[in-house]
Amino acid sequence: MQSYWFGDLDGGRCTPFEGSPAAAAARIRSLVTSMEKYDPPDWQQAVACGVCRDRAEYLSNLQKVCIAGAEEAIREQYAQKDVELLQMTRTLDEMDTVINLLSERVADWYMIRHPSFSRKYRRTPAHVMVKNASLRDRDGALGLVAQEIARLGEARTALAQEVSRRACDVMPNTSALIGGLVAARLLSHAGGLRQLARLPASAIQVLGARTALFAHLQAHAPPPKHGILFQHRRVHNAPRPLRGRVARVLAGKVAIAARLDFYRGRAVPEFLDDAQARIDSVGTGDTEP
Amino acid sequence: MIWVGDVLVSRGDGGVYGERLIDGARVWDPYRSKLAALYQAGTGIDLLPGMRVLYLGAAHGTTVSHVADYVDVVYAVEFAPRPVQDLLEVARRRRNVIPIMADATRPETYAPIVEPVDLVCQDVAQPDQAAIAIKNMVFLRPGGDLILMLKTRSVDVRKEPEEVFSETVGLLAAAGFSVQESVWLTPYHLDHAAIVCKKERPVMNHE
Repeated sequence: MQSYWFGDLDGGRCTPFEGSPAAAAARIRSLVTSMEKYDPPDWQQAVACGVCRDRAEYLSNLQKVCIAGAEEAIREQYAQKDVELLQMTRTLDEMDTVINLLSERVADWYMIRHPSFSRKYRRTPAHVMVKNASLRDRDGALGLVAQEIARLGEARTALAQEVSRRACDVMPNTSALIGGLVAARLLSHAGGLRQLARLPASAIQVLGARTALFAHLQAHAPPPKHGILFQHRRVHNAPRPLRGRVARVLAGKVAIAARLDFYRGRAVPEFLDDAQARIDSVGTGDTEP
Repeated sequence: MIWVGDVLVSRGDGGVYGERLIDGARVWDPYRSKLAALYQAGTGIDLLPGMRVLYLGAAHGTTVSHVADYVDVVYAVEFAPRPVQDLLEVARRRRNVIPIMADATRPETYAPIVEPVDLVCQDVAQPDQAAIAIKNMVFLRPGGDLILMLKTRSVDVRKEPEEVFSETVGLLAAAGFSVQESVWLTPYHLDHAAIVCKKERPVMNHE
């Protein structure tokens, strides 16, 4: 017997499939076709089968089935928990870039408006200057731009909270280990939870340090010790000589956590306790091999 | 193929991706479409009104929309959900585009859908491009043609494009294709070659 989208063909007998395009698409996905000695479908068989009158109707029915099938497949893919988180994280990182760029530009602009002002000694950060600009030049273009940056900043904060919350849901173990935001950034650099779960720890350790990694591989620069993982306090608070070691141990545990997240999908407290203890012990000499 | 002067065009509903129109015909830009580049740089296979085409790696349906202007039906296979969203929109406005969201390395998943075709166009960014073409041979009628857009950098970035090219041609020939034409698509597309070949008719057809 040979199964086609319009029905089953057994010898000379044809059993047409009756149902909505979506149901037909679901049936096609359930079919297991052996590709040895395979006969592709023929529209004349479909006409003989009584599912359509002519070729035009054959194609239009088939198109309906295929569109319904593709729409469902897209919906399923987009419903995976990590897909939206990926976009949210990338939006967040790009907003950071944009806000920083605009803030620096507005700070420069502000200095032109106020010739006696200098950032020296006061170490005025750009975001404070943006605030000043929005207060002191309220009605001018500068003030409007500054207010807009401030609003962008508020949206950014809200988004960051949402990303963090969502990351705790999508990747409970990794988030527990390194925090939602850093976990989400690892996810966005890897391209998805499945991809992150399949990376070796050594790759996770330098994820986000692409420039440094290629400088090392091509031009004999020293190898990068950490990429995104640097954002974790254990790494950037560690004394310089220890950072590489902390990052390596952390990456090893993150790799395990990502796999737990992908394959089990729930927090594993025993693992988290052990991992945390191991990370905390780096540099104390307790468990060093 | 339809040419207005030395510009390749196709006749159909415009506005798919903001393409230019000349005398009401849609300009088919060789810098955007590798298939158009093949027609500019080489000969290719003439697209005829009765033809059935299987297009692997349909992406956003840009090239597919031009092919559909020429032929009877295009079975457009694409794997990634984002481009398929666009491909579906093209299909909704073109009766002869059948969009298939599937992996071209697994033809068994769309085997119940695709009829025997006269032409297979393949434009996929995968390392095993020859293997994908060979797997999809089952849909190609004997004597039908394959146009393979070889992305040499997807096969192996470290190898020289020429080396990848000759390896691919060897694999295709071993699988029963006879290579008719092969063209590098410079200056339109870097490190891309088009290989046009014919599926040989079986010499022995009886058991």
